[in-house]
Amino acid sequence: MISTQIALVRREILEHRSIWITPAAVATVVTLLAIAMVVAVAAFGEVLNADIAMLADMTAPESVRRAALAASLIGNTSVFLIAMWFLAIFYCLDALYAERKDKSILFWRSLPVTDAETVVSKVLTVLLVIPLATFAAVVVSHLLNLIIVSIWMAAEGANPGRAIWGAVPLFDTWGAVSTVLFALPIWMAPLFGWFLFVSAWAKRGPLLRAILPIAILPILEYIVFKSWTLGSAILTRLRWDAMPIFDKIRTAGFDDDDLHSMLTENHSLVSWLDYGSFLSSIEVWAGLLICGIFATAAIYMRRYRSDR
Amino acid sequence: MNSLVTASNVSKRYGDVRAVDNVSFEIEKGKIMGLIGPNGAGKTTLLKAVLGLTDCEGQLSVLGLDPFRQRKELMQNICFIADVAVLPRWIKVTQLLDFMASTHPNFSRTRAEELLSRTKVRNDAKIRELSKGMVTQLHLSIITAIDARLLVLDEPTLGLDIIFRKEFYGNLLNDYFDGERTILITTHQVEEIENLLTDIMFINDGRIILDSSMGALPDAYVELVTSGEEAEKARQLGPLYERDVFGKKVMTFEGVDRERLKGLGDAHTPSVADLFVAKVKGAVS
Repeated sequence: MISTQIALVRREILEHRSIWITPAAVATVVTLLAIAMVVAVAAFGEVLNADIAMLADMTAPESVRRAALAASLIGNTSVFLIAMWFLAIFYCLDALYAERKDKSILFWRSLPVTDAETVVSKVLTVLLVIPLATFAAVVVSHLLNLIIVSIWMAAEGANPGRAIWGAVPLFDTWGAVSTVLFALPIWMAPLFGWFLFVSAWAKRGPLLRAILPIAILPILEYIVFKSWTLGSAILTRLRWDAMPIFDKIRTAGFDDDDLHSMLTENHSLVSWLDYGSFLSSIEVWAGLLICGIFATAAIYMRRYRSDR
Repeated sequence: MNSLVTASNVSKRYGDVRAVDNVSFEIEKGKIMGLIGPNGAGKTTLLKAVLGLTDCEGQLSVLGLDPFRQRKELMQNICFIADVAVLPRWIKVTQLLDFMASTHPNFSRTRAEELLSRTKVRNDAKIRELSKGMVTQLHLSIITAIDARLLVLDEPTLGLDIIFRKEFYGNLLNDYFDGERTILITTHQVEEIENLLTDIMFINDGRIILDSSMGALPDAYVELVTSGEEAEKARQLGPLYERDVFGKKVMTFEGVDRERLKGLGDAHTPSVADLFVAKVKGAVS
């Protein structure tokens, strides 16, 4: 059972190479930008990033330098988050469609693997594997960026050992980043469930067939009932900043631009995340339930689809 | 239990169309059964029902299991090749073997590698890099390495050249078939498998129109090449089907003693292809 599930998830990684290529590509671009920035600073003497400038200033309090380092790392991470958002959506739309398109479904179904096991492996991929691959790329990107800045600082005569590696809150940042990366697919689970169902159902053009109903139904609701409940629910699920994991930050009155102030007030990023609020949120559990319903429908669709 | 597949009054409808219409048959252990029928006759639908890929009306038991509801258990003892193009094109041969070893309890990786070493299929090649013939060789090697009791082949050599086709059936007999295992096969190139078959079933318009062992065919069917007055006399015996070939009359008889046809022309056992045409067209006329 477990070995079958591992083999199925491995199949997803091999079949949908974008699962690891996308985060790797983002990590490459982010690293190249970091190199370009350091080269620009070295060449023109201009400091393009205020956070980096702060690091070199050893007279600044450590809490300020920690905040600067964390803010710099988190700034990079948002690019990964955006990439993962798109990656997960397109993965779900392709997950049960690709095997029908290339007709390999008959081979996969010739093996002693149930349709439920197959669909579960796709759900696990979007909920666990994609965030894990993205997190791995984030970690590598953070380390490369810190190494690049360290080299630059050393060339400038500063001591990166103390200025960067002694101050950087790596594990706290990674703890926070991994939490957000794993929370996002759970938050978006009802949409992913819907996309998986469409990928099992659509004869062609799953993207259009997935988007049209979630675009049209809220408009119909507005026209008929003059209400915007469905539209609001769907839009909320598409926004990661709406996740209950950020409740504590919202309650404190901070927003995305206030990282420095937040971290100066409480230097641990993880402590700003509201695990209790996320885990006790009815919206989160209802979303998972909806995802489960759509995944079950996808199982039945896969079972009966090749009927035609 | 000698019967591997038992179908009793099995039907399958798609809307108003009855793709399979109330068919009953048995396939016994150790047989090579050919399922022959024209396009749209219901062959693939029937195979899908046997493989648990589609639900159907009536009673269908494969290896003592309900194929649709117990598909996972069934697939441990059945394997099938549906078409030459169904192996996923993105996967490498070695990754495919890894996947099989992880998911199929009756798959022997050693055996598959041994079979593949006799072919030109490289372990590090992706399926998309292989020719159609090589993909079929690979698929057959994988299937042969599964210790399965029933092998179902649906047009397995479609699109292959004659050399690969001959090789495919040669390997099938040498490497897979051991007298204990059972094969159910459909193909349009019936003349190529005629000599392999132990049993044969014809299907037309969703109905089984012939279900016989190959050994029983010479007793039941005779083809007579005749002309002139003999042809007229032969016609009195009620041929199943009659056709013209190079100015001669070729008649197919069912259940007529060969002795009665002596002196009326050249009598011989019809080929499976000719018998099929006679059964289908004879039924129409």
